[in-house]
Amino acid sequence: MKMLFYLLRESWVNMWTNRMTTVVAILTTAFTLACVGIFLLLYVNLRAAAGWLQDDIKIMVYLDDRLAVDSIAKMEQQLRGDHAVASLLFISKEQALGEFKAQFPSESHLLEGLGQNPLPASFVVALRPSFRSSDLVKRWAERVSRITGVAKVDYSQDWIDALATVIRSIELVAVGIGVILSAAAVTIIANTIRLTLFARRDEIAILRLIGATASFIRIPYLLEGAVLGALGSTLSLGMLKLMYELFRQEMPTTGRFAGFENLITFFSPSVCLALIAVGMGLGVAGSFVSIRRFGEAKA
Amino acid sequence: MIELIHVSKRYDQRSALSDITLEIAKGEFALLMGPSGAGKSTLLRLLIGAERPDEGQVFVHQKNVTALKQSNIPYLRRKVGTVFQDFQLLPKKSVFDNVALPLLVQGVSANDISRKVTEALRAVGVEHKRAQFPAGLSTGEQQRVCIARAIVNGPVLLLADEPTGNLDPALTVEIIELFKTINACGTTVVVATHDPFVMAQANRRVLTLSEGRLLPEQGVPV
Repeated sequence: MKMLFYLLRESWVNMWTNRMTTVVAILTTAFTLACVGIFLLLYVNLRAAAGWLQDDIKIMVYLDDRLAVDSIAKMEQQLRGDHAVASLLFISKEQALGEFKAQFPSESHLLEGLGQNPLPASFVVALRPSFRSSDLVKRWAERVSRITGVAKVDYSQDWIDALATVIRSIELVAVGIGVILSAAAVTIIANTIRLTLFARRDEIAILRLIGATASFIRIPYLLEGAVLGALGSTLSLGMLKLMYELFRQEMPTTGRFAGFENLITFFSPSVCLALIAVGMGLGVAGSFVSIRRFGEAKA
Repeated sequence: MIELIHVSKRYDQRSALSDITLEIAKGEFALLMGPSGAGKSTLLRLLIGAERPDEGQVFVHQKNVTALKQSNIPYLRRKVGTVFQDFQLLPKKSVFDNVALPLLVQGVSANDISRKVTEALRAVGVEHKRAQFPAGLSTGEQQRVCIARAIVNGPVLLLADEPTGNLDPALTVEIIELFKTINACGTTVVVATHDPFVMAQANRRVLTLSEGRLLPEQGVPV
C-alpha cells in the first residue's frame, strides 16, 4: 500500500514539477486527438446515414402489362418463397395511378391525355438485412429481371454505392490521419516524459543502486503518460462536443435540411470511454518509448 | 563473500582492470587502495552488476554476478549497501524518506519501515535529523545518512567508494569508526580510497590497485 502510494505520489510530483510542460503536452495531445476525432465523428455519422439508407432500400419489380392475374399470383408466391425477400407489396396498375395522382396532383392531366393507364403493376420488395449489400442487391435484381413477366427491376443503388465509396475513402483518410496523428501524440508525450526522466536522472540512478526493479522505476512514468493521454483525450472529446453542439445549432432547421440536426449523433458513452482508453494507451506508449531509450543509455 | 577470478575490464582501448583475482571473506573489512584511475570504482561497479567484466568471473554472496540476468541484478543490490563520496541523497526527500527508500522498493510494510529507519538513523547518530532535508545537513551528517540508507535493510556487504573524500580528518575518523562498528556486527565492508589517512585509521587488510592491476598484498598494517 505504501509502495502504491509512493508510486502515485511520484507520478504527481513529476507532473507538478514540470507543470508547464505537462499542460503543453495535454493541450497538444488534445488538439491532435481532436483532429482524429473530427474524422471519426464524420465517419460514424456517414456510416450511420448509409446504414439507414441501406435499410430503407426498396426494389421495384415492374411487371409486363400482358401478364395474367394468375401469373401475377404465381410470381408473388415465387418471390415470397425467395430466401432473400423480407417483405413484398403488390401495387396494381390502378394503385400506381392513384399514387401518382396523389403525389403529383398538378401533373395528373398528362396521364389522362393518354387514354389508358401507362403505369405498370409492380412488386415493392424489401430484402433481408443480410442481402442488402450492394453486390447482393445487384445480383438479386439481375436474377429476378430474367423471370418471365418481369419488365424491369429498378432500385436506387447507384447513389448509395457512391456514398459507400465516399465512406470508404473517409475511412481510409481517417485511418491514415489517425495513425499519423497518434504517432505525433506518442512523440509529444514521449518528449514530455523524456524531460522528466532527464530531470530525475540522479534519482533514477540512486533507485537502481538500492535495488529498485525496472518496473518500480518505470511505473510512475508510465502512470504519468497514462494521465497525460487520458487528460488529452478527455479534453479533445470536450472540444469535439463543443464543436458538435455549435454545428447543430448553426444548422438550418427548415427547408431541405429540416430534421437533419436530429439525425447527426455524437459518440456514444462507450465510444467516449474507448477513446479515453486509446488516449491512455498512446500516453503509456509514449512513456514506454522514452523509458526504453533512457534505460538503454544508462547502466 | 567476494571472489574475482581473472577479471579484466576495458573501456574502448583503455584497460581499467587487468586480470584481477582476489577473495574477500565473509565478515572481513578490506580497503581498496590506489590513486584515481587505478580501477577502484570499476571494481566496485562490477560487484553490484553495474558493469560486466570483459573476461573472468565475479562472485558476490555465492552468486555469479557475471551470469546474473539484468532483471535479477536489483535483488543482488538489495543485499549490498553502497556509500559514495558525493552522498547521492535525494534533495527533495527528508532524511527519513531517503533512508526508507531501499525498504520501500522491496515493499516492506509501513510499520517495519518506520522501525528499521529509526534503528539505522540511531546507529549512525542522526536520529534527531529525521525530518530535515539533505541541504540542511552538514557534510558529515549527509554521509551518515547515506550510511544509514546503506545499512537499513541489513546488507551482507557494504561497499563504500571514497566515502571520506569530502570530509575533514575528524569526520573521516568518525566515519571509519562507524564502518568498523557495522563490520563488527557481521557485515563485510569494502572501502575504496586513495587516502593513506583512511588506511592508517582503518588498520585493516589492504588491496592495492595500480593502473588496473592488483599489487601483491603486504599484510595488515600494525
